[in-house]
Amino acid sequence: MLVMSPHDMGRRTLLKLSGLSLVGATAGCLEGEEETPTATTTEESGGGGGGDDGTTTTTEESGGDESSYTIGMVDSLTGSLAPYGERNTRGRELALAAINEVGIGSEGASLNISVEDDESTNQGGVNGAQVLVNQDGVPLLIGSVGSGVSIAIHDSVTRDAGVVQISQNSTSPELTTRPELLRMSPSGSAKGQALASLVNDDGHDTVAVTWINNDYGTGLSDVFAETFESEFDGTVAYNEPHDQGQSSYSGILTEMASTDASAWIFLTYANEYTVMVNEGFDQGYNTSVDYYGAESTVADSIIENTPEGSMDGMTGITESAPQDQENYQNFVAAFEENYDGTPTVWSAYAYDAVTVAAIAIEAADEFTGEALASVVRDVTRPEGEEVFNFEEAAAVLRDGGSPSDINYQGVSGPVDLDENGDPPGYYQIYSVEDHEYVFGDYITS
Amino acid sequence: MIPLQISPFQYVANGVVFSSIIVLAAIGLSLVYSIADFANFAHGDLMTVGAFSALFSVGFFRPMLGDAGVFGLPLWFFLALAFGMGAAAVISVVTNRVVYRPVKDSGSIGLLISSIGVALVYRALVFLSFGTEPERYGVPRQGPVPWVRETLGIAVTPRNLVVVALTVVLVTALHLTLTRTTLGRKMRATADNADLARVSGIRTSEVIFAMWLIGGALAAAGGVFLGLEELVRPRMGFDILLIVFAAVILGGIGSVYGAMLGGLVIGMVHELVPLFDQLGVPLVSTPYAEAVAFVIMVVILLVRPSGIAGDSG
Amino acid sequence: MSAVTSWVRETLVRDATERRIFAALGLITVLLVVGVLTGVVGLRFLLFQIALVGMYALLSLGLNVQWGYAGLINFSVAAFWGIGAYCAALLTAPNSPLGLGLHPVFGFLAAIVVSAFVAVLIGIPTLRLREDYLAIASLGLAEVIRAIILNERQWTAGSSGISGIPNLMSWLPLTDSATTAAIVVFLIAVVYLFLRRVHRSPWGRVLRTIRSDENLAKALGKNTYRFKMQAFVLGSVIMAVAGAFYAHLNLYIDPSDLVPLTTFYIWIAVILGGTGSNRGAVVGAAVVIAIREGTRFLNDIGFIQTLGVDLAPLRLLFVGGLIILIMRFRQDGLLPPKDELIWPAARDGSGAGGASPSGAASDGGASSNGGDDR
Repeated sequence: MLVMSPHDMGRRTLLKLSGLSLVGATAGCLEGEEETPTATTTEESGGGGGGDDGTTTTTEESGGDESSYTIGMVDSLTGSLAPYGERNTRGRELALAAINEVGIGSEGASLNISVEDDESTNQGGVNGAQVLVNQDGVPLLIGSVGSGVSIAIHDSVTRDAGVVQISQNSTSPELTTRPELLRMSPSGSAKGQALASLVNDDGHDTVAVTWINNDYGTGLSDVFAETFESEFDGTVAYNEPHDQGQSSYSGILTEMASTDASAWIFLTYANEYTVMVNEGFDQGYNTSVDYYGAESTVADSIIENTPEGSMDGMTGITESAPQDQENYQNFVAAFEENYDGTPTVWSAYAYDAVTVAAIAIEAADEFTGEALASVVRDVTRPEGEEVFNFEEAAAVLRDGGSPSDINYQGVSGPVDLDENGDPPGYYQIYSVEDHEYVFGDYITS
Repeated sequence: MIPLQISPFQYVANGVVFSSIIVLAAIGLSLVYSIADFANFAHGDLMTVGAFSALFSVGFFRPMLGDAGVFGLPLWFFLALAFGMGAAAVISVVTNRVVYRPVKDSGSIGLLISSIGVALVYRALVFLSFGTEPERYGVPRQGPVPWVRETLGIAVTPRNLVVVALTVVLVTALHLTLTRTTLGRKMRATADNADLARVSGIRTSEVIFAMWLIGGALAAAGGVFLGLEELVRPRMGFDILLIVFAAVILGGIGSVYGAMLGGLVIGMVHELVPLFDQLGVPLVSTPYAEAVAFVIMVVILLVRPSGIAGDSG
Repeated sequence: MSAVTSWVRETLVRDATERRIFAALGLITVLLVVGVLTGVVGLRFLLFQIALVGMYALLSLGLNVQWGYAGLINFSVAAFWGIGAYCAALLTAPNSPLGLGLHPVFGFLAAIVVSAFVAVLIGIPTLRLREDYLAIASLGLAEVIRAIILNERQWTAGSSGISGIPNLMSWLPLTDSATTAAIVVFLIAVVYLFLRRVHRSPWGRVLRTIRSDENLAKALGKNTYRFKMQAFVLGSVIMAVAGAFYAHLNLYIDPSDLVPLTTFYIWIAVILGGTGSNRGAVVGAAVVIAIREGTRFLNDIGFIQTLGVDLAPLRLLFVGGLIILIMRFRQDGLLPPKDELIWPAARDGSGAGGASPSGAASDGGASSNGGDDR
């Protein structure tokens, strides 16, 4: 028969497709051998530190020793968290410059970081992480800013792939329940409690809280509400979330205004807070209630896009850096030399994330997720000799030291990662006076 | 601490402002629907284009004119508004010539799908030219107008008043055009019955040109006001498009006056939802304000597809 | 092998244009294989992309049932996809608000049942409307569904999303990405064959009649509303299955993908591929993914970075331009159905290439396809 019967055609199609599946399956078996990290085209290498030109190194895959190590980084380069992305970029560049001056390992290999933008969204973060883990095959990933983003990346990409993940800026208490998810920024639980205490000290007993609808907002608002109600006998008259990236929040504000709260707590990001401040100003709310915030309501963009007097008197608590530590002061000096203005602690967290990663690579036996995971906590723990930068840590390690022989003291603080992967933190009270941020007392967790 | 009092009239005031924006957009959309006979999904993004064109022009109007203001808003804003309206009108006409006219014969579905392509192109061009971050016009904010606050107990800002006033001006101008000018009469005739109009000697190409021009200009005005009230974002127009469709369908496709009425009703409902929420109306809560508008739209389509004032499709 | 050659000649490469298209596809496949072998393209990543193409292909096949067969302009694709994804995620992820951690099979079953139910709910008000009203109404109701998923956080976790969704069939001795890719290929095969069978049945013939001239179908005594509802539900269920699969592919879901843009991407896939053609739907899906993911790769090429152009909007521009160009120049798409719908035996009997029920099916559908009275 020249013409095939429909049964044959159906069968043949099925056969062809099964054949495809079989090919795919064979590919799957081959795939298991692709563990060698590919040193592919990268976007960032030794940054712009100290006047050196940042050259993008494209190295070929060598069979034995690596001439460069590539790790991944997911950062918020665009979207609501973009202010952090900029701070992180600077911290990262400074750290890379310092590390690549020394080089990793006896061959002095350079460290490269392949960066993906999460667009300040969970899905963006997952996509970026998938590229880094599946395409670039990195064994260690620094990411990300938003707590929900970090959690999504962890649960859906890095955890099952055995990739070490260090979040540079995530603060939600929810990360504590995931011990494999490490971070350089402290858990926000201390901050939430301190904020509740602050609000209570200012004489408010009825408050309204609005928080951004993600893991960061959920975690922080839970801690605040619980502390305010149980420890200080206060009333949380309103406790509702709002979505990221909206152009108007008048509905939320109106609802808050309909309660008898005397203080409004905004646990949200810069863009969202800017809209709320503006709309509050339009309605005259700022003259009637006190505003409170956390760390993400501190941003230049907020000051620039709101009118004078629209948030004077607003108070909040944010993370801060160990001002009196020498290596932090060196960091500040290097920062001011390369960029306009003083650094925030967020750049310091990113700096430490990169440095800790480099130390872990230096200390580990192999450049694999498993090997790195086994050493990364130890190099920060209090046991061992205190080292204040990568050069010192590398010296100890190359002298025959083991990971527990060093105790990295970061520029953002002691960075002692506990069993949940959380470091201790410093906090600072801030307020807005004459439409400028003013920083005050310190709090430690 | 002064306890806050939110008067129910506050919601009405908010509704009037929001309705202004919807009305301007709905008129343009209704015109296209009735004369060119297809649902133009690019209309929202045309609003975005208008808003961003105005934003662009702020760059040279503002240094030129400084802070000189009228009615509480700077002069450069009004010029930017005019620029935005003009730009959108031109883009609208050009798009028709380049995209819609060549595929006129593929029917209203082909045009609908093409308009989706146009919407994406508009949005992409805005993203490429201005980036993804939301912007503001930079009109200095003042708080609520004091005497209104004291007498009526509601908070309205000078920009609220300007938006509503200008909308009234534009709508009146349109009304006068439609009723008093020859062009207006031709437009109404073509909207009523295109074939009959053509047979009686009306050059529909002229009418179509005018319609795209006016529709584009009004959409831009709506976009600029939306940007003034909230933020100038690349997605602003598309996010509001469905609400505008709801207004057009409620008012009745083919009727400009229906579109105005539909816009007013939908805008009001949208802003009154938080009030209903507080009064305890079931199923209605603030985050669902838009969903309420869509449900109304679907109900109208089922019960009376011709809307309040339209012809029978 | 002459039977295979003639099958290829008669099914895959009908004319010069199609030959060119398949040649292009073949070339791209070869390039990809070379890319994997040389290490430029990560194998795990490629398999992920293949799985993604498969997911889009399933969505396109579902939409094809509604638009290609029955002529329904359905803009609620993203909503049904989302319903499927959320059913799978809520039932199988250990830390979802439901916290049940069930086997993925339950996720798929729930996706089918819930989507069928919702499809009926949406279909009742909208399927009697004329085409453009159906478009607007379906879009509006899709947005209502998105609002519900976004706001009812106690059930759906809202914009926090659901992470930690388990992989499918991880007990197979293959890597997860290979297994997932194989599963979607299997799903496509099943759905494709099922739809082809269905389309050649009397039911399919009625649908085609409804599409080209509903009044004719009514005059012939058919309850067109019931047929449209069946097509709508069938298509929506397929979309939900695609969504459930996506949950197990991406391992994370949140409402951000349930936006109208996702729906429009599928529409492009179907139109580009060729309305009414299942092959076209699959090819169209591949092209759309190529655009979406390919632009991401461009990011890595040095000189493009120096242009300083943001690639996501470029993607949007490309896609929008593509729609406009297709509607203008090749409304039938790349692989219009032509006589995909005719049993080969009948085609042989009735001589050269029958009638071509392309884009706006011109023939009544009831007359010229003589052989499908099985």
